[in-house]
Amino acid sequence: MGLAGLVNPYTITALDGVAYGLLLFTIAAGLTLIVGVAGVLSMAHGTLYLAGAYLAWYLADGGWAGLALALAGAVVVGAFGGAGLAAAVRPLTDRPLDQVLATLGVAYIAADQFSTVFGAEPRSVDPPRALAGSVSLGDYQYPVYRLGFIAVGVLLVVGLFWFVERSRVGAVVRAVVADPGMAAASGLRTGLVRTGVLVGGGVLAVTAGVLGAPVIGPSPGVDTTILVYSLIVCVVGGLGSIRGALLAALGVGQILTLGVALVPGAAAFLLAAAMLAALTIRQRTALPGRPA
Amino acid sequence: MTTILTPNPDAGIAQTPVRRCGFGPAWLLPTAGVGVLVAAVTLPWLINAYLISLATTALVMAVLAMSAQLLAGLPGLAPLGQAAYLVVGAYTAASVATLTGLGPVQLLAAAAAGAVAAAVTGVLAVRARGTTFLMVTFGLGELVHAAANQWAPGGSEGIHTPPVVALPGLPAMVRPGWVYLYVLACTLLIGAAVAVVVRTRFAWLLRGIAAHEPRVQAAGQHTGRLLLAAYTIAGGIAGAAGALAIADTRYVSPADAAMGVSALALAAALIGSGSMAGACAGAVLLVAARDWVGGLLGGHGPTLLGLAFLLLAYLPRHRLAGLTTRFPRRRR
Repeated sequence: MGLAGLVNPYTITALDGVAYGLLLFTIAAGLTLIVGVAGVLSMAHGTLYLAGAYLAWYLADGGWAGLALALAGAVVVGAFGGAGLAAAVRPLTDRPLDQVLATLGVAYIAADQFSTVFGAEPRSVDPPRALAGSVSLGDYQYPVYRLGFIAVGVLLVVGLFWFVERSRVGAVVRAVVADPGMAAASGLRTGLVRTGVLVGGGVLAVTAGVLGAPVIGPSPGVDTTILVYSLIVCVVGGLGSIRGALLAALGVGQILTLGVALVPGAAAFLLAAAMLAALTIRQRTALPGRPA
Repeated sequence: MTTILTPNPDAGIAQTPVRRCGFGPAWLLPTAGVGVLVAAVTLPWLINAYLISLATTALVMAVLAMSAQLLAGLPGLAPLGQAAYLVVGAYTAASVATLTGLGPVQLLAAAAAGAVAAAVTGVLAVRARGTTFLMVTFGLGELVHAAANQWAPGGSEGIHTPPVVALPGLPAMVRPGWVYLYVLACTLLIGAAVAVVVRTRFAWLLRGIAAHEPRVQAAGQHTGRLLLAAYTIAGGIAGAAGALAIADTRYVSPADAAMGVSALALAAALIGSGSMAGACAGAVLLVAARDWVGGLLGGHGPTLLGLAFLLLAYLPRHRLAGLTTRFPRRRR
């Protein structure tokens, strides 16, 4: 009785929202750690997603080999991208505005090069043939790839949570978020942690691009869209908090799918309201930002 | 109650870092200003129509850069969403244009709409400081961008507007030279108003927030309200820039709210490092790099803009700023 009753247009849309939210979490988890640990607001984070999506489009051959190759490429591109960004912002430590400008400059140059190389039209990426069909949930057809993506997304969430909250390296990362000065004084190599977080965040974003390409395909402008949503996730979830990022990402995913289906056109207002609520509640506990 | 902060105006002014060009003799700055003004007014008779329309775009961006500078330069909060208020102003001006072609009426309506939009969304923005302020304004700008795609008349295609009439009785301005002169006159008026605002006590309180917010609070000022007022004024200026953009291109679309426009305004404000004239010069430079040089090189404007941002980030602006702030402000 239960399952058939559960399947209606809204739960199907909500399932889409879960897939969207998990995709946003994979991207925003990297960004929230980058902002929280390294103090760098990377405006090139959406660019990394777009790079991954174009990588998936370029290497997709309809089989597992193409996806595996794209994932391997994602690790390389993400690591180099993250390391490059870390090298780019290193001379700009303690100058957050200049870091924003530098990463924005990188994002602009990359976006222009992408549209030169890959053209201005949107590209659609097909998932591997084994996942290309759809299954029937009750009376509805649902793409297998999205279910697979949800499964992989849940695995990623569990892995990230274990890494950040249970592993020794994760403890070091959290120590640098909490008090960089104290962490440095107790002998932790904060510079290495900062670079590592940028590299890790880069790998996550490019991997999300490869896996998410069949959901949000590569086209010019996708980098900005992804950047906006992940920044909103970071603001709502709190900088440097992986739990907050998960909750915020799932919420934003629901707003962008179920919210749009229920109240068309209200997504922008709902997201603004979510940011307002998060900032209002958090302001009571701590002063937002430190005096320059 | 309200005079606590300025027990001794001269001492307060001498200690406050003011970005000011301290090079050269005292007559240099006014002379340079008059020279720039004369060059700006005679420009339509010197260059071709394409360059005139680029110059008009540069003036619109200069107004938007002043709007960004009011937040980035005074209270030290860098906004990355000013294009949202430009688009609000532009759509308002386009709606007014169906009733009257009179430019000043459109300008006032657009400024009012920009200010109202900024006052409403500013409630959210002024709760954040530092990088979070930038993130929130960026998010707001993109949400307005998305909402314009959905709600604004014309959708993502945008709408066309009739040419603007500068003053009652004059013919509608079609030739780029006249449009340029109209936009120049409006820009100078807005610049004069901004010059008055940055010399008020209100502006000094904003500078105080940049220096040490708790101290301004301790002096009995409600910093949130001050910032909201500054944000509202900045939104009004951005809205006015929207009306000028309509006069320039006779077209508005949600794409005008794109991140690129806000980023250009912020970068221009940072080039100006605290001064309004510097922000205008920065806007002119960046528009020239994006549109003029980009056009010469066959359309790689974004790459050039990105290179300009990188250059701006790595130049030792802070040391340069230190050079110019060492000189105390002349007594007015």
